[in-house]
Amino acid sequence: MAEMIKLFVNGSEVEVEAGKNLIDAIGAIGIEIPHLCYHPALGADGNCRMCLVGLEEGGPPLVPACKTQAAPGMKVLLNAEHIKKIQHDVLEFQLINHPIDCPVCDQAGECSLQDYYMEYDGQKSRMSEAPVSKSKKLDFGCGVIHDQERCVLCGRCVRFCRQITKTGELGIVNRTDDARVTIFPGRPLDNRYAVNVVDLCPVGAMTSADFRFKQRVWFLKKARGICHGCSKGCNITIDHNREKDQDDLIYRFRPLLNEEINGYFICDEGRLSYKQENENRLTEARRGKTAISLDDAVTTALKEMAKAEKIVLLISPDSSLEQMAAVKSLAEATGAFLSGFSDGYIKKGDGDDYLIQDDKAANRAGLALLAIDSSRENFATALEDAQMLINFNSNLSLSYDSAELEKLIKDKYIIAVTSHDSDFCKMANLAIPAASFTEYRGMIISCDNILQSFDKAIDKNSPPVEISEIAALLGGSLKNSEDQYNALKEVIVSTESFNPDTIPTAGLKLN
Amino acid sequence: MEVKILSAKFDIEDAHRLEVAREHGAYATIDKLFAMKPEEVIAEVKNSGLRGRGGAGFPAGVKWGFLPKDTGKPVYLAVNSDESEPATFKDRYILVKDPHMMIEGIIICSYAIGSHDTYIYIRGEYTTQVKTLQAAIDEAYEAGYLGDTVAGHDFKINVTVHRGAGAYVCGEETALLESIEGKKGQPRSKPPFPAVAGLFGCPTIINNVQSIASLPFILENGADAYKVYGTEKSPGTHLFGISGHVEKPGMYELPLGLPLLEVIDKVAGGVWKNRKLKAVIPGGSSTPVLIPEEAETTTLDYESMAEHKTMFGSGGIVVLDETVDIVKLVENLIYFYHHESCGQCTPCREGLGWMLKIVKKIIRGEGTTADIDLLTELCDNIEMKTVCVLSAACTMPVRSYLTKFRHEFDAYVSDSTSTTEANQE
Repeated sequence: MAEMIKLFVNGSEVEVEAGKNLIDAIGAIGIEIPHLCYHPALGADGNCRMCLVGLEEGGPPLVPACKTQAAPGMKVLLNAEHIKKIQHDVLEFQLINHPIDCPVCDQAGECSLQDYYMEYDGQKSRMSEAPVSKSKKLDFGCGVIHDQERCVLCGRCVRFCRQITKTGELGIVNRTDDARVTIFPGRPLDNRYAVNVVDLCPVGAMTSADFRFKQRVWFLKKARGICHGCSKGCNITIDHNREKDQDDLIYRFRPLLNEEINGYFICDEGRLSYKQENENRLTEARRGKTAISLDDAVTTALKEMAKAEKIVLLISPDSSLEQMAAVKSLAEATGAFLSGFSDGYIKKGDGDDYLIQDDKAANRAGLALLAIDSSRENFATALEDAQMLINFNSNLSLSYDSAELEKLIKDKYIIAVTSHDSDFCKMANLAIPAASFTEYRGMIISCDNILQSFDKAIDKNSPPVEISEIAALLGGSLKNSEDQYNALKEVIVSTESFNPDTIPTAGLKLN
Repeated sequence: MEVKILSAKFDIEDAHRLEVAREHGAYATIDKLFAMKPEEVIAEVKNSGLRGRGGAGFPAGVKWGFLPKDTGKPVYLAVNSDESEPATFKDRYILVKDPHMMIEGIIICSYAIGSHDTYIYIRGEYTTQVKTLQAAIDEAYEAGYLGDTVAGHDFKINVTVHRGAGAYVCGEETALLESIEGKKGQPRSKPPFPAVAGLFGCPTIINNVQSIASLPFILENGADAYKVYGTEKSPGTHLFGISGHVEKPGMYELPLGLPLLEVIDKVAGGVWKNRKLKAVIPGGSSTPVLIPEEAETTTLDYESMAEHKTMFGSGGIVVLDETVDIVKLVENLIYFYHHESCGQCTPCREGLGWMLKIVKKIIRGEGTTADIDLLTELCDNIEMKTVCVLSAACTMPVRSYLTKFRHEFDAYVSDSTSTTEANQE
């Protein structure tokens, strides 16, 4: 528990966390101090002047809250007329040269300038002269589009590239109201986290080439999720919408604060991985090339399984713990060999010392926890003797080229339980559609051994069945989530007692 | 009225050369200096009452006392030679006429504050000055006044000349530090103050050229000899640059405390062409203007200026005769500060440009009374809301013109009810 101190805001005593600046300390108890340039991940810069607050005794009468540590007994003044006037005046200054093109701006609806105008300004413009004109639609690279006229020059994007990625592609050139954010000639953004500047931008100056003009943000529904792009387990906000007569589609992933895992940011690859949730999905079960019902598919699978002497089950390292447990129970019930082989998911040397991991599997730690064999050799050997392979969503193409793969599965009966259509899926005798990670509730363990849970975010028009349910239909003994949790309780060891319903949002560090 | 303390060698030919300077007493204080303890030097300077000559007038010795003790970090001295305030032309004389006086001052200051590295930040446009200064520094190294020892005394001083790139704001001491560090010249938020965390994060003292150049006299003759000149609270002498509508513009060294109008009349030959005095800018463009009635009772010292709600500033006195169009003067003033705003803080970045547009609109004859009122309001909305005082350096004088010469603005606007004669030629 953090140390608490008492200070006064507008004359009322409040208790806040020590060691924080006034914006964060007072913000944590629900009192907003408007600010544009300060960001907790980037520190205080003090250029926007929106956060100027009064100190009633001791110290200068006016201080930037971002640069002022909360101190015991401090008397902070926020609602005085002269402070409100400063907030209004600063907004007026920000807006005199701003294009005010909210109707065509992607940031509209999640724009600090817009929100603050409604909250702190609300005045008619007194600017009668032409505003300063600057460049628009600048392609900064990495899918970042910049509008210099909308920019409030808070410098968050510049500081991000200097402090976080340490690549320093952005700078502010020129002085006075001709100052502008830009790249150096011929040196566009070139880092794997670049699109975070779009999230950091408090206004519509930085927009994402991928997202812009796709949806108005107020139509988007927000759900919490965990990125499955690698083993880091970055927390994300899944912005999705079901347009009239269409399916529930994801429009973007955005980073969601988790101090223990990803902080305020995610990588660009993970951010764009939302597309895979929308595209190339297997929506109907298939026998050969014929579409069949799920019931028919299960019946066929059970019939074929009864024929097979030896079965190999392959589980994806992206699967949730519940799914792994369910498939494991299926292996135990049928005497099948269970493998979590997924060498191809590891891209050696691709990771960095920040968020991106070599291992692109979201839950490899889960395989280990459930003692699921992952060796290439054991998988190949087992498959050689087997007559059937049931692949639960593992992407074998990452580990084998097509010739190898064809040779491997030759003469076997292949069942692909899969969220996505693929070459492998097309080669399968039977394909059964399965839910992808935004469509089910589950738990995964990150590369840092942090257990996280996530809820179902997307509700498809024809919701695909979850792997664990299919495993149960095929004969697994864990028939529902309660069964799965009970099985998992035996293997999950942590300092706090494990309860799937009360996993902290920050995650549960396992021993 | 004129005195020759700082300007003692200005009339001597080639006094910028070490040989000549030495003949006339340069570096005479070195042995005395090293016989003293640093604290004694600081005490002597404190006692002299020398106030920072960059414009703010903060007591130099007191500033030195802000240095934290025993931080384990080097202490830097930065000499502010960015002299860019319009109407200010005093330091350039020292740099060209008697650079060794300043180098001697650097030695005194370095010893007092325990600094072994000095950066002289010189205005980029000062091309002649930088050549003379660098030549003098080279001579001083050659002669052993700078380098590993100071005239044989075991004290290392390295002096680096760092040229600015033409930004007025780099005269602000923390922007100056940023610029020396190779960054864009933008003032830092304070605290921390440079004495605690300055250049490269180390304790740093930043003094103006003239402040530093005043040290040899004080050390040689003692604080009391310095205090003979000036007033009790504003002791010493100052290099005044008198420009504008006077018969004899120029740089004059005067003791502080003299009556302003008397100096204009007797030293600078009075208002030119037998014209009437309209106003006086007392200490550089950023100081609020004085009308003749105010100038009447003003003396050239920090206290009298403050009493008249203006500032002593840099000693750059601008005399304005009756023909001056104040509105156009204000346009020029705002143009300069707008152009020089570093663009960091919102009010200064956006506000000064807005003010410029309004004053231009007024001059075009398209303005209204509401525009003049808005201009006045913007001064309040910008001033003191920013990291540094550049914006205040614009709004404070502009407000004084708007207050004291409102009728001239009124004469420009269409809906004015003012009967005062328009000043539009």
